[in-house]
Amino acid sequence: MSTERPSNLIKHPGQTSIPSPENISDFSLNVTDCTQIVVPEEVFFTVAAAGILENLLILIAVVRNKNLHLPMYFFICSLAISDMLGSLYKTLENIFIILCKVGYLTRHGDFEKKLDDAMDSMFILSLLGSIFSLLAIAADRYITIFYALRYHNIMTLRRALVILAIIWAFCAGSSIAIALFSYEAATVIPFTILFPLMMCFILCLYIHMFLLARSHARKIASLPSSTVHHRTNMKGAITLTIFLGVFLCCWAPFVLHILLARFCPHNPYCACYMSIFHVNGTLIMCNAIINPMIFAFRSPELRSTFKKMFYCPRSKLKIPTITPKVMLCL
Amino acid sequence: MQSPLTHFMSAGPYLLRCKMSALRLISNRTSQQALSNSDYTWDYEYYEYGPVSFEGLKAHKYSIVIGFWVGLAVFVIFMFFVLTLLTKTGAPHQDNAELSEKRFHMNSFVADFGRPLESERVFSHQMAEESQSLFHFCINEVDHMNKEKESQKGPSLESNTHFQEVPKSSGMFEEDLHCLTKFNIPNFVNTEQNSSLGEDDLLISEPPIIL
Repeated sequence: MSTERPSNLIKHPGQTSIPSPENISDFSLNVTDCTQIVVPEEVFFTVAAAGILENLLILIAVVRNKNLHLPMYFFICSLAISDMLGSLYKTLENIFIILCKVGYLTRHGDFEKKLDDAMDSMFILSLLGSIFSLLAIAADRYITIFYALRYHNIMTLRRALVILAIIWAFCAGSSIAIALFSYEAATVIPFTILFPLMMCFILCLYIHMFLLARSHARKIASLPSSTVHHRTNMKGAITLTIFLGVFLCCWAPFVLHILLARFCPHNPYCACYMSIFHVNGTLIMCNAIINPMIFAFRSPELRSTFKKMFYCPRSKLKIPTITPKVMLCL
Repeated sequence: MQSPLTHFMSAGPYLLRCKMSALRLISNRTSQQALSNSDYTWDYEYYEYGPVSFEGLKAHKYSIVIGFWVGLAVFVIFMFFVLTLLTKTGAPHQDNAELSEKRFHMNSFVADFGRPLESERVFSHQMAEESQSLFHFCINEVDHMNKEKESQKGPSLESNTHFQEVPKSSGMFEEDLHCLTKFNIPNFVNTEQNSSLGEDDLLISEPPIIL
């Protein structure tokens, strides 16, 4: 957008020298410096817009289809909201920059500081919301598998909404606190410990579910009349690896950035890592695009809702449920 | 209080160009002349200490970046292999031996329905109680159906290959299917005919509806 892209002039953190435009050519660069790797704004906007649109679609689909008013889909909605917040943050930031450049916003105001704080809180809220939503989804599936008969008593709609309210209240409070006190080590350390801790917990839940699936598969395979192919069940392993791998690859670089920025900003190796900050930010926005594909779009009910939304926009959304498996044994 | 997290989040050059003149707090602590009134001033005020020297680096300057991504890739691949090992249900050529052995266990279990057997304990120690009882009920049902059909067709049904053919020729498989679908591990185990037992629906769980 701007023709004067001073990407080659940006010093890594630590430089307090202030080049002015007329001195750009005089500025001598140390060629071994790690320059900031800049992602073009068009890419930023495209990725952010795609993330927002996709997650908005999911929210609309769940709201419009009465059959999707289930705890499981509410948790998926919560994940969609937190992904949307992350992409929204980036979009707003870019808009803020553009307005600043054009001159509509003053540079000295109190308003900018407040806006900065608000945007930082929004971003941390998005990160915490993502983590806790993923945890809620994993816990919901765990209860579905292991307490199958009592699921509807344990996870009522009201309880799911209460859980979501608690999660979001906690995330909002923590994000405001972290944004206000982010220079304290006491906030950075818990923040970065929370991330691997949650991931391990989610991994344990899924592995336990996995083991149950394997034992069930063995049992059904042992029935004499089932025509089951005995092969390694790769698809489950692939799915789980994709889910956890995407989460790790998208969020871990940013978390490491926060750690390094707090504890070794002057180390040249750390500084070089921090120069790829924009790539890390883009990865987080890519996570907002990939998450719906892993969670929401795998549900046949949601897919059929989308088809109805796009192909028959005028018809009332009375989608018959995909036949639920009814327990007649008891 | 201005959040220095801004410097983490908004490290873009264009943003800094715009913002730096608005950030007062830390600059008040450093020298005032660091901020001029020029429109194009920028610096990273949070880091007050001076430039980082890149002289005399022993390793490559992007070593943390490379090390981090390589470590992450190794971890993900390791996790994949661990999960694949967890899901191994045995090689195809072992099927017949396994099937006949397990059929023996199931038969003895059915005869003592209600009394937990050793073999059943080995299989089911991971299951919840409710799902266990339901499953046993269905196994029992299936086995009863098998026994009825067997008594009609004679002892030639003992070969496993014939068992493989029987579901296709008779309607017995549909009955088994009906019973198995009653036991709903939601979308977990695919019991459709001619489809492999897949766990790719692991992450879809529609909760069972109990009448």
